[in-house]
Amino acid sequence: MPSNGSSSGAAVWAILRKECRSEWRTRYGLNAALLFAITTLTSVSFAVGRLTDRVDLLSALLWVVLLFAALASMSHAFVREVEGHTLTLLRLVASPTAIALGKLLFNLVFLAVIESVAVPLYLVLMGAPPPRWGAFLALLGLGSVALACATTLVGAVIAQTRGRGALFAGVALPLLLPVLAASVSGMRSQWAGGPITAEARLLAAYAVALFGVSLLLYDHLWED
Amino acid sequence: MTVALETPMVSTAAVFEARDLAHRYGRRVAIEPVSFTVSAPAVAAVTGPNGSGKTTLLKIAAGLLRPGRGTCALAVAGRDVPPAERRRWVGYAGPAISFYEELSVAENLTFVAETRGLESPATLVAVALERVGLVSRAADRVAALSSGMVQRLRLAFALLHRPPVLLLDEPGSHLDDEGRAMLARLVERERRAGLVLIATNDEREWRLAEQRIELRGRGLGHPA
Repeated sequence: MPSNGSSSGAAVWAILRKECRSEWRTRYGLNAALLFAITTLTSVSFAVGRLTDRVDLLSALLWVVLLFAALASMSHAFVREVEGHTLTLLRLVASPTAIALGKLLFNLVFLAVIESVAVPLYLVLMGAPPPRWGAFLALLGLGSVALACATTLVGAVIAQTRGRGALFAGVALPLLLPVLAASVSGMRSQWAGGPITAEARLLAAYAVALFGVSLLLYDHLWED
Repeated sequence: MTVALETPMVSTAAVFEARDLAHRYGRRVAIEPVSFTVSAPAVAAVTGPNGSGKTTLLKIAAGLLRPGRGTCALAVAGRDVPPAERRRWVGYAGPAISFYEELSVAENLTFVAETRGLESPATLVAVALERVGLVSRAADRVAALSSGMVQRLRLAFALLHRPPVLLLDEPGSHLDDEGRAMLARLVERERRAGLVLIATNDEREWRLAEQRIELRGRGLGHPA
């Protein structure tokens, strides 16, 4: 049978489910990310106590914790395929775009799981004032999407290079800085009672731009 | 488990045509210029000394690698198949294929079937495992398989979507006598309507073919 209409949607969904199953079985990134988030928040809480009146520090701390907790695993989404020698198998069954979209969705799910544990813990341990939930969740969501788009793109680009660890930092930094700056600024603004429209728009536009660039690039990534 | 072995195979005449095909890895010559045409139904053996480019030739044929020079065209049912679409028409089994060790044999193949968007993945997986004699190990994790069983799994991976073209890179490696008999039966069956290219230096394997493509390189990827 000449393989069917190998629909991209089916491929993306299958890759997402495979990623979730593999992560659940190996706990490759989940345990380390949760450990980082919990120990960091606990340590800061012991060291400086509650930061109720320091919304600038609260905003920065939230994104630093989320970024570093998730980064190691998210940036390795493709590296694991290269080091496990499974990238050839993937390339033989799905288009590079479908592979990358599956990985991107997995990174979003991964980030959501980390946030579901880290954010409530952060709000309690840091003594954060009650957030404006709509603005808070919108910023968290948009920042997460932009973060996932950036790390997935960089992870895909550097996966087959030598010295990818050093490369990741160099390539990811300029892409992540706008995400962090807008996310921190927006979060501070929502706690200060100000508008978050500008930051939200910036994050949304940035995520869309990264996603668009990714779609253009992915099909040419692994051509030898 | 009993499954129907005689799954319908679509008769889609495939033709491989290489014209002045050559490839280098940096300064190393991987394939000296070679030209050939193979039309289904046929089994062709690609032979040559170590480093003469047998694996590289099959990777180019599978669309995994872009040739440095010349062309390697595949036509199925009279339609040219560009490299990016070959995964739909080609089944590839070679040492470059690794599987997800944290998943079971059946889970790996089901993932492949779902990613390809095949209908009835469970049935296709059962049929493929039956054909390579791996049904009894379907539930075992890949990490627990011997190298001979992994080789059978590679063959099942190549057969899963019942492609009209099979590219087999040293398909008998690690197989026992029963495994080699299974391989001979498999090649014999595919010969009836499909096109099989076997890269090998093993006499037991190239004797399965009625055509031979001899790569002329001096071997070991000699420098220019």
